[in-house]
Amino acid sequence: MKRLLVVASCAALLLGVALPAGAQEIVVTVEDLLDSPEEYSVSRVPEIVVHGELIGDFGQRPDGVVWAQLNGDAYAMAPLLAGGELAGPNLGIGVRIPADLWPELADLAEAGGYRLRGPLVRLTGAWRYHDPARGGESYLDVTGIEVYGEPALLEDRAGWLPFALGVFLLCAAAALALATRRREQEH
Amino acid sequence: MLIRPSGEDLRIIGFYLGRIFYVVAAFTGLPLLWALGGREWAPASSFVLTIGAFALIAAAATARPPREKALDWSHGMVVVALTWLVVPAVGSLPLALSGHLANPLDAYFDAMSGLTTTGLSLVQDLDHLAPSLNFWRHLLHFLGGQGIIIAALSLFAGGAGLTLYYGEAREERILPSVTSTARFIWGVSLVHLIFGVAALGAIAHYVLGFSPIRSLFHGLMIFFAGFDTGGFAPQSTSVGYYHSAVFEAGAAVLMVAGAMSFGLHFALWRGPRRADTLRNLETRTIISTFSFCLIVVFIGLATLGLYDGVLGLTRKGLFHVLSAHTGTGFSTVPSSELAAWGGLSFVGIALAMALGGMASSTAGGVKSLRVGLTLKFLKDQIKEVLLPENAVVSQAYHQSGRKRLTPKVSQAVMLVSLLYVAMFLIGGAVGMAYGYPLQDALFESVSAGANVGLSVGITDPGMPALLEVTYLLEMWLGRLEFVAVFSLVGFLLSWMRGR
Repeated sequence: MKRLLVVASCAALLLGVALPAGAQEIVVTVEDLLDSPEEYSVSRVPEIVVHGELIGDFGQRPDGVVWAQLNGDAYAMAPLLAGGELAGPNLGIGVRIPADLWPELADLAEAGGYRLRGPLVRLTGAWRYHDPARGGESYLDVTGIEVYGEPALLEDRAGWLPFALGVFLLCAAAALALATRRREQEH
Repeated sequence: MLIRPSGEDLRIIGFYLGRIFYVVAAFTGLPLLWALGGREWAPASSFVLTIGAFALIAAAATARPPREKALDWSHGMVVVALTWLVVPAVGSLPLALSGHLANPLDAYFDAMSGLTTTGLSLVQDLDHLAPSLNFWRHLLHFLGGQGIIIAALSLFAGGAGLTLYYGEAREERILPSVTSTARFIWGVSLVHLIFGVAALGAIAHYVLGFSPIRSLFHGLMIFFAGFDTGGFAPQSTSVGYYHSAVFEAGAAVLMVAGAMSFGLHFALWRGPRRADTLRNLETRTIISTFSFCLIVVFIGLATLGLYDGVLGLTRKGLFHVLSAHTGTGFSTVPSSELAAWGGLSFVGIALAMALGGMASSTAGGVKSLRVGLTLKFLKDQIKEVLLPENAVVSQAYHQSGRKRLTPKVSQAVMLVSLLYVAMFLIGGAVGMAYGYPLQDALFESVSAGANVGLSVGITDPGMPALLEVTYLLEMWLGRLEFVAVFSLVGFLLSWMRGR
C-alpha cells in the first residue's frame, strides 16, 4: 500500500511538472506567423512549433547553420504534380537550423522543388521577428526538429497533345514560309 | 475625316510583326533547351507548342510582303503596340499549361507582367514551378527590358528601325544608326549578364552555401529580374528568401545599373564624358528624388517603430526605396508587412514607384528626365511671375549638352506625366470600387502602371477579373508610355469608321 502511494505520488509529481510544460507548447501555422508576426515574437512567446515542407535550397553557411524555407501551405501535403489543387500563393518563412541539430541534412541534396516534395518537418524554435542582430530579418531560430515525412519524388508526365500540336504548327509554318519564298522568287 | 487603312498598310504591319515574332520564336528555343536538359517533359512540350504558335503567326503575317509602301511612323507605332499585346498572349501558353495558374487570363497577366518588367505575379505554388518555366518568366523580363524591338532591330536593319525604336519608348539614339544603337544595348546587357551572374552565383555558392548548379540558377534569375528591373524571383519570398545583406547588395547594384539610361552607360564606358553625366538634369533629378524618398521612408519607418535597430531600418528602407525607384519590385518582406508601411513610409515608396528610373532604361514610371523637366518648367514659370516683366529667364538645361526647354517639349513632358497620374488614379479608383482601402488600391495601381511589382497583397489569384484587366492595361500603357497604344486605338478607329 505504501509502495502504491509512493508510485502514485511520483506519478502525480511528474504529471504536475510535465503538464504545464506540455501546455506551453504553442503550435502555430506559417499563415499565423505571416498574419500576426509580432504576436509570436520571441519577446512574447519563447518557443513555438511550426509544421511544413522544407523547400528551395539548403543554404549551408560557413558559420555552421543551415538556412531553408518552410512552407506551410496546402501544396506541402498535396503538390500540384501529385494531383493537388490550386490553393493560392505559397506561404513560407525562413528557418535557421544549426547543422549539428540535424546531421542527416548533409545527405539531402535539395529541399523541395519541381518533381520533389521536400521533407515534412515539425520545427520547434524561437520566432525572431525583425531581429536587430540580423538587420531586421524575421525567421524561425530552430531548436528542435522532427522529420515526419521523407522527401518524395513527383512524376512529370509529358504532354503529348501540346507536343503534337506544336510540331504540326511548326510544319505548317515551315510550309507557309517556303511557299512565300517560292512565290517571292517567282515574282 | 478618318482614312481607312489600305490592304498595303495591313501588309506592312503584318510583315514587321511577323519578323519580330520569328525572333521571339527563336528566343523561346532557350527554355525548350533548358527543359530538355533538365528532363522536364511537360514544360518541354508546352514550349514546342509556343514556338510552333509564334512561327505560324510569323509565317502567316509575312506571307504577303508589302510592295508599294514603306513602314512609316503610324505603322511602326501599331507594330509596337500589337507586339506587346500578342507576344505575352502566345508567351503565356507554357504558363497556362503548367497548371500553376487558375485560368488563361491569369497566365496572360503573368506573361504581360514579365514582358513589361512589372513583376506582379499570379503564379500559384511558385516554389514547385519547373526551373525551365521559371527561366521563361525571367527571360520575358530580359526580352521586355532590353526591348523585343531592340532584339529584332539587332538582327534586321533598314529604314524601318527608327520608328520601331521610338515606338518602344526609347528616346535617345546613342550611336548614329538605330541598328548600331540596338547592338550596343545588347552588348551592354551581355557584359552585365556575364559579370552579374558570376557575382550573384559566387555569392550564392560561397556566402549562402547553395550547390553550384542552384547558385548559377539563382544568379541567372535574379540577374534577369534585377538588371531588367522586373521583379520576378524564383522563390515565393522574393529576395527575402536569401536572408543575406550581401546578396541584397549584389541585387541592388544590378537594379541601379538597370535603371540607368543606356546613354549614361555609354558615357560611363567612354570615360572622358563621365563628369559631364553628373551635370545632366536627369542624373541630378534621380539623385535628388531618390534621396528625398529615402529620407521620407526613413522618417516614416522610424515613426511606425517597425524596426528596432538602425541597421534594420536602414537595410529595409534603403532596399525597398531602391527597388521602388528603379521599378524593380524585389522585396525582402512579405506583402502583408509592406501593407503595414503606412503614413510617410507609404508616401515615400509610392512616390518612388511613380517617379521611376531614367529614360531609355529598362525602368518604368514617369521617368526622371520628365520629372526634371517638369520641375524646371514650373521653376521658370514662377521666376517669370516674380521677376520684372522685361527680365529674361533662361530656359536652358543640361542633358548631354546644353538644350533649350521649348514650349513644345514642356507640353509633351507635362502631358505624359499627367497621363501617368490619371492612369494611377483610375487604377486606384477601380481597386477602391472593389472595396480595397484607398492606400492599398493606390499603391497597387501605381505599382502596376509604373511597372514596379511591389504588392500589398491585392494582386492575388482571387482578385476580381476586371481589376486584373485594369492592371494588365496599366502595365501595357505604362511600359509603352501611351503613344504607341493611342496610335493603335487611332488605327483601329480609322479601320472601323474611315472611308
